[in-house]
Amino acid sequence: MVIMVNGKQIEWEENLTIKSLLKKMNYTFPKIVVRVNGKVVEQKKWAEFKVPDQAEVQAHHLIAGG
Amino acid sequence: MSVLIEKMRSSRKVLAAYHYVPALIERGYAGKTLYIDLTNKNIESKDVTRQMKDIFVGGKGFGLWYLWNAVTPDTKWNDPENEIIISPGPIAGITQYPGSGKSLLVTLSPLTDSVMDSNVGGFFGPYLKFSGWDALEIQGKADKDVVVFIDGDNGRVTIEEVDLDPSASHLLSEQLTELMAETEHDKKNISVVSTGSGAEHTRVGMLNFSFYDLRRKVARLKQAGRGGIGTVFRDKKLAALVVRFSGLSGKSNNPADPAAIARTGVKITREINKFDDTQFRMRQIGTANLMTPMNDYDLLPVHNFKYGSHKDAAGISSEVLRSRFTQKMPDGCWVGCALSCCKAVDNFVPKTGPFKGKKVTVDGPEYENAAGLGSNCGIFDADYVIEANFYCDTYGLDTISTGTIIAFIMECFENDILNETITGGLKLNFGNAEAAMELIHQMGQGRGFGKVAGQGVRRMKKIFAEEYGGDPAFLQDIGMENKGLEYSQYQAKESLAQQGGYALANKGPQHDEAWLIFMDMVNNQLPTFEKKAEALHYFPMFRTWFGLQGLCKLPWNDIIPESNAIADSPEKIPEHVQNYVDLFNAVTGKNIDKDEMIRQSERVYNFQRVFNLRMGFGTREHDAAPYRALGPVTEEEYESRQDRYDKQLKEDVGINPEGMSTDAKVAAMRKYRQGRYETLIDVVYKRRGWNENGVPTLGHLENLGIDFPEVVEVVKKHL
Repeated sequence: MVIMVNGKQIEWEENLTIKSLLKKMNYTFPKIVVRVNGKVVEQKKWAEFKVPDQAEVQAHHLIAGG
Repeated sequence: MSVLIEKMRSSRKVLAAYHYVPALIERGYAGKTLYIDLTNKNIESKDVTRQMKDIFVGGKGFGLWYLWNAVTPDTKWNDPENEIIISPGPIAGITQYPGSGKSLLVTLSPLTDSVMDSNVGGFFGPYLKFSGWDALEIQGKADKDVVVFIDGDNGRVTIEEVDLDPSASHLLSEQLTELMAETEHDKKNISVVSTGSGAEHTRVGMLNFSFYDLRRKVARLKQAGRGGIGTVFRDKKLAALVVRFSGLSGKSNNPADPAAIARTGVKITREINKFDDTQFRMRQIGTANLMTPMNDYDLLPVHNFKYGSHKDAAGISSEVLRSRFTQKMPDGCWVGCALSCCKAVDNFVPKTGPFKGKKVTVDGPEYENAAGLGSNCGIFDADYVIEANFYCDTYGLDTISTGTIIAFIMECFENDILNETITGGLKLNFGNAEAAMELIHQMGQGRGFGKVAGQGVRRMKKIFAEEYGGDPAFLQDIGMENKGLEYSQYQAKESLAQQGGYALANKGPQHDEAWLIFMDMVNNQLPTFEKKAEALHYFPMFRTWFGLQGLCKLPWNDIIPESNAIADSPEKIPEHVQNYVDLFNAVTGKNIDKDEMIRQSERVYNFQRVFNLRMGFGTREHDAAPYRALGPVTEEEYESRQDRYDKQLKEDVGINPEGMSTDAKVAAMRKYRQGRYETLIDVVYKRRGWNENGVPTLGHLENLGIDFPEVVEVVKKHL
């Protein structure tokens, strides 16, 4: 009952959406590219996309500083 | 104003004049450099050689090459032989692609005693080139304050005495713009380089480059901030440089393929129009958009880099700063910049200092100003940040160094290394805005404890240990400088890659070489030493390239194209990298690819490393970082993030923290982190083609084509 988010083990929960996962991780940055098991999930689908158990999630913040 | 200007006009005395026929720009280059010797009032034209263009490209590359030939290993920053070189680069001056108006400056620094470079917007660099000069090389020292006026319209360069007050840069820029412009409309054709009294009294003097804002009817200012170049400028008795050029057009750079430039420019301008409002909002907030996310991710420097966030940070959040910006429309520091990150606070009324009660226009605050002068000093008051920003700019003080200096002093004050007797009555606790503002005035005016503060963190560490009994080891741990330059304003404790990005940087810890915190700490894209080293090779080289061309880095990664979602290496923004390759080829008519782009930078980057060696630096010991940049120095810091650090001890170090004292845990963490930093250095050096002491190998220099006899001679001494 765990998922990997950016290489770190996170507890999975029922009906975990990408939106709620990012909130849980406190990922507030406006430009994040999310891949679930290697596939990009568009931002407009984050509220309904359910993250499956055992998923590998990459939440890449596209920021390279000033 | 007009009486003053008339007085200035009638006082103009030409000490030397040089007449020339402005060179026609061909594929981004004028082919000439303007050399000025202030000691002898000598003005000459030099040819830009084919070798310079092939090896050093332009911008910072030209500056390093000229400085190398001007100085010896014994030259000090305040010797007449030292130079200030300003060069824009071949792409600079195009108006179709955002961020194409940068100037690059190179000199020997009063902070580091070695080579310094700094980049800046404003109109000076492009106007200099279109006046017929790829670079301006200034050597010598005048005996009285002088103004250098480059009239690109009439092909005339003069060194002049003018009755002026060089203490306030915002006024001097205004006055010289008015003085040199022939009509009101002509003001947009003028750009002034100047500084203020702070550059005379400190080692952290910076230079303001102006651009005339037709809407506000004021000369706006952008800053070449880092490393004390303004201090060198005033030491040479330069009051100002002024350029005038009125023929700007979209074809001024006379590029090989204007249609390709237009295509590339239209593409990114559409991206900006489509995405900026939902991405970084550069047009609305500029770089201050980083204030809130940096605090959210524990990366905002707080209390001399002890922490990465603060409960009161909302006081200087992105939105609060946005609410203070006036004339809410896109605002760029060079013509055609659609990203338009410049911001200003109009009609601001300072509460202190020589401009108390007078309305002024403040350029900024940008992220570094708000983080350095604000959060890092424990001050979360937007009014203070804006006023401190204004005074640093007009006094000619680098806001980044000034912020880190005051934060260091505050920590020393709170640790009883300093007291009110030493500071002349200033209670410099974290959060004391009134005392911090007074210290800025003292730095700007060369008074009181400001004279000590203006020496910079490295020299203060020595003074505080020798004169005030501070513990040298503690001062070394908390003094946030490397190579003599103060750290810029990001908390790097939890990103090993960024620790290297800072302390391995050629000029000192400025983030313009590498900013890897999110890739490393949040995205976990660099889990191994080898991956970190690869990033610490690629990004410093890639970012160096902007400084060769006269480009701003922000349009590279502060707007993200749609293609990035499916790109193989999204952190590189591949579509934009290709844009830059296309722009270079379209301007110069050459045919480079993205690999040759990196090699162009590698040549200059390694040359700068060798230049550091030549000046007595550039080896491993100079890449050491203060421990505050690597991990928690004090028990207070450790305990503020105890869960995080305990978890790391347990999972990463293999030590069970239960039952350990905080002191013991701090020591264990320190041993672990310092060991990893040393390993990182080993792996990065290897990736960069350097030996274990950080010296480029002869084979590497040969491969890069910079194995000139004088370069080899320097390197051989270290092999």
